[in-house]
Amino acid sequence: MDIVMLHPSHIPHVQTCNITNLPENYFAKYYLYHALTWPQLSYVAIDLSKPPKSPHDPPKIVGYVLAKMEEEPVDGIPHGHITSLSVMRTHRRLGLAEKLMRQSQKAMVETFGAKYVSLHVRVSNKAALRLYKDTLQFEVEKVESKYYADGEDAYSMKQDLGFIWDAVKKEDDLLKKDEKADAEGEGNEDEGDPVGDEGQEDKKPKEVMRKVKIGRALGVSDLVEKVEQPKAAS
Amino acid sequence: MPSQQPLASKEAALFRNVLKFYETKQYKKGLKAAEQILKKNAKHGETLAMKGLLINCQGKTEEAFQIAKEALKQDMKSHVCWHVYGLLYRSQKNFDEAIKAYKMALRFEPDSQQILRDLALLQIQMRDYNGYIESRRLMVVSKPHIRQNWTGLAIAHHLAGNLSEAENVLTKYEETLKQPPPRTDLENSEAILYKNYIIAETGDYKKALEHLEGIARTAVDKVAVLEARAEYNLKLGEKEAAEKAYRVLLERNPEKRLYYTGLEKSLGAEGEEKLKVYEELAEQYPRADAPKRIPLDFQEGDAFKSVAQKYLDWRLKRAAPSTFTSLKALYGDVAKRECLESLVEEFLAKTREEKPVENGEKLTNGSATPNNSVLIYTLYYLSQHHDHWRIRNTEKALSYINEALELAPDNADQGELRLGLARILKHAGDVRKAMEEMDNARQKDKSDRYYNTKCSKYMLRNDCNEEAIKTMGLFTRVSRDNEVNGPLGDLLEMQCVWYITEDGESYVRQGKLGLALKRFHAVYKIFEDWTDDQFDFHSFSLRKGMIRAYIEMVRWEDSLWSHPFFRRAAVNAIKLYLLLNDKPHLAHGSLANGTGEDAVDFESLSTADRKKAMKKAKREAQKQEKAAAEAAAKAKDERKGGEEKKQDDDPLGAKLAQTTEPLEKAMAWLKPLLEFSPTFLEGQTAGFDVYMKRRKYLLALKCLLAAHSIAPEDPIVHEQIVRFQIFLNSKPELSPTVQSIIDETFTLTPKESTLAQFNEAYLQSHADSARASFSVVKARQALAAAEGSKSDSEGTDSETLIFETLKKEGSTLKDAVDGLALLKEMKGDVGRYSEEARQRWPVANVFEVKA
Repeated sequence: MDIVMLHPSHIPHVQTCNITNLPENYFAKYYLYHALTWPQLSYVAIDLSKPPKSPHDPPKIVGYVLAKMEEEPVDGIPHGHITSLSVMRTHRRLGLAEKLMRQSQKAMVETFGAKYVSLHVRVSNKAALRLYKDTLQFEVEKVESKYYADGEDAYSMKQDLGFIWDAVKKEDDLLKKDEKADAEGEGNEDEGDPVGDEGQEDKKPKEVMRKVKIGRALGVSDLVEKVEQPKAAS
Repeated sequence: MPSQQPLASKEAALFRNVLKFYETKQYKKGLKAAEQILKKNAKHGETLAMKGLLINCQGKTEEAFQIAKEALKQDMKSHVCWHVYGLLYRSQKNFDEAIKAYKMALRFEPDSQQILRDLALLQIQMRDYNGYIESRRLMVVSKPHIRQNWTGLAIAHHLAGNLSEAENVLTKYEETLKQPPPRTDLENSEAILYKNYIIAETGDYKKALEHLEGIARTAVDKVAVLEARAEYNLKLGEKEAAEKAYRVLLERNPEKRLYYTGLEKSLGAEGEEKLKVYEELAEQYPRADAPKRIPLDFQEGDAFKSVAQKYLDWRLKRAAPSTFTSLKALYGDVAKRECLESLVEEFLAKTREEKPVENGEKLTNGSATPNNSVLIYTLYYLSQHHDHWRIRNTEKALSYINEALELAPDNADQGELRLGLARILKHAGDVRKAMEEMDNARQKDKSDRYYNTKCSKYMLRNDCNEEAIKTMGLFTRVSRDNEVNGPLGDLLEMQCVWYITEDGESYVRQGKLGLALKRFHAVYKIFEDWTDDQFDFHSFSLRKGMIRAYIEMVRWEDSLWSHPFFRRAAVNAIKLYLLLNDKPHLAHGSLANGTGEDAVDFESLSTADRKKAMKKAKREAQKQEKAAAEAAAKAKDERKGGEEKKQDDDPLGAKLAQTTEPLEKAMAWLKPLLEFSPTFLEGQTAGFDVYMKRRKYLLALKCLLAAHSIAPEDPIVHEQIVRFQIFLNSKPELSPTVQSIIDETFTLTPKESTLAQFNEAYLQSHADSARASFSVVKARQALAAAEGSKSDSEGTDSETLIFETLKKEGSTLKDAVDGLALLKEMKGDVGRYSEEARQRWPVANVFEVKA
């Protein structure tokens, strides 16, 4: 199994995978909309059991996560949303769903500054519920009545992405250490506040690094935090 | 340029309202206002134009064009009239004409950004790169402060293949910035990565790497930066840096094969050393599959055995149903697949011994005991192993799966295993029982759409189209748009290509050619829609700024029609049209030589009887169509109010099948097939057939030569070579140029022997292939027909040849079915053939004796 970012050429097979497994289906353009608005967030699992006959032959998709950023978050907090996730029955129990999800979540944080990720699941879908709750540690936020076209309710679930922020920060600090070792005296591209933190953290042992809720944000989140807390830009 | 026909101030105000109503999609109000103006100024061109546009929005296209033409007649120099004319063409997807009209509009109103934008969108949709560059350049000139305009111009140059100019444009914009944009500027982050992507495409990796290091901190797409760095390092031979970069990437995603090959290359490790790298990675990422699985690809012999054993232990102990799928790719290698078999057998024996729990005993939660699970899925592996097409020992496969089924108390496992059982039966040709077992699997968990989908598929394989659509209907959505068409409507709307194709192929088997064509055309329509889908993204992506993804989309769209989904439908459709060209009576339902009970052997009838049969068939067809139309009308009545939905006036595809120009219709499929899939063998051989029928001999030859270069020994290619030579031997009247080109290029038949000898020689050298035998038989028939005799005395006679294919080791079930069809055509001993075939494929339904 190969886990890679969703490419437009994958879409027909992702669409097949979706309509094979799930009752909520979309036409190709909706997949394109995801792939061309948040290309970093959607991933596919490719079956390698049949080597392609020619390099142009599209790979067989056996699982995918189709994800987006909430475009106008009601709560004003940037967050991701899982539009659809499924794995072919023949490829279950390989941990694919989790592996797909992890890639997506990391990019949500790194590229778009997401604080949490949300999704909907049918109240009757026990298997999916188990996956989200137990394996992926989502929490049920509320029940949305008659969310689905056939009248079924949905659990609205979410997961805080703080743990990824921590990990990302750790990696970032390591990287910076490296860069400093490589070339002394750079880093003037930074925009203010993290510099202080950074200097301190360099001296701390790794385990102590923690909690980045307001600390050095990445990407778009800079903007959002300024909006949320106008004073934070100081 | 102002309009040639100025309006009075009251009417001018009304006209502005018309525009506003159009923009806000209030077409009725817009029309009313337009009529008001026209009452006083009946010949006001621009108002007429707007009226045409509004009427077009209400679906009256023909009338709209008439009015728009009238408008142009009244006001030839109005940009509004020309713009509208272009918009009408655009709505008809006649982009070439639309571009011409927009260009006229721009001539009269060179500063209109609106028209320029509309023109540009069409140009890129049509891949008119030079036109697009010019339009984009004008946009930069008129609004240089907008970054999108610069990016758009860069895209135009980039797609046109002018990489350095694309890079220059992006740089020029960057230089206008007084200070660097903040890291929060996503558009900037993507634009700089886009520039890096262009530099890399020039092949100057040194420059690309330098540029990348400059932007790495600003770009928020971290994966892109890391992947690019690793790639550049590797390309530049900076192996240490590349190694480091790939290790960072693996840390992020240890399931991406590209990272492993990258790491391998940067380490340059071979043999023992290479294995060690993977062993370390496997330890580092204990949950990852890739580092454990990859060594099985490169290890051989005892070394293979040792890695395979480790891998199998790990996977089989987890009782996942997909272990076999993960290893299937190795089955081309005899030694490896035999080794895997004996390892799994060993594992099975060990598991059986260890088994402390009674068969079928349940744990409290109702699932199999862990040990039982392992046993069950080990048996499952072996059943799949013996069912693999290179091995295909149905008996063994069935015995393993049945043992597993007896051990599985739990519904979930039962479902999984029934699925496996159904697959084995399908492969063995018992499509009926396969369908039943798949339905059993479905019953185990009716809320699982996967079972439901597979069940429908197996129903189609058994030609139970009604049951299949009903089953699909358990999960399809009912919306206003598909009410008339039921579940199929939803499947069409959701572009469910697999179902539509399988449904069509089932109708082909049943001789229902109209319905079959109907389905394949639905696939064609989906590809047209996928082509159109890109249109909105030409502007959308500039706004969103995700340019690299956009470029990838454009490139994918450029090769869209080479997709196997299209190829499959195309080959089917072309075969049908060729058939309809030869036997137009097949377009009439019950005359089809299908499997239906009232199927008539049309060709053996006298002329009078033929006419009679034809009449009867037409009557029946009319009856069916009427019934279908009534059903549709009824469905319509049952809808509460609502607007008129488009009715399908040919639900059974009768009109499609009764085409008077089947070869022209075939061309619509053949063209994209040949253009986008030139190395696709079946496309070239289909092209040969179509062009021969159309008497385009050079084009036919071109296909034949292409097919020959793809697969020189292919039986179909052989048959076509013979047929082409027969054609040449018939001394056709060809123009001297055509003749000389053929003489020069067609050298595939030997000069020193006869065509018949050539044919028999092919048979000798392909003695183990059933397909070769069939082609030789067909070539003999063609030779006999050309010589006006039935002699095929050379070598074994044809019927015996076909019978012999049943004994060939490599023959597949599909070969046997093809042999049956050929024998039927030759009016050979079909009964005896089926009997002999049954001995080798005992459960295959196709060889059953019909009661």
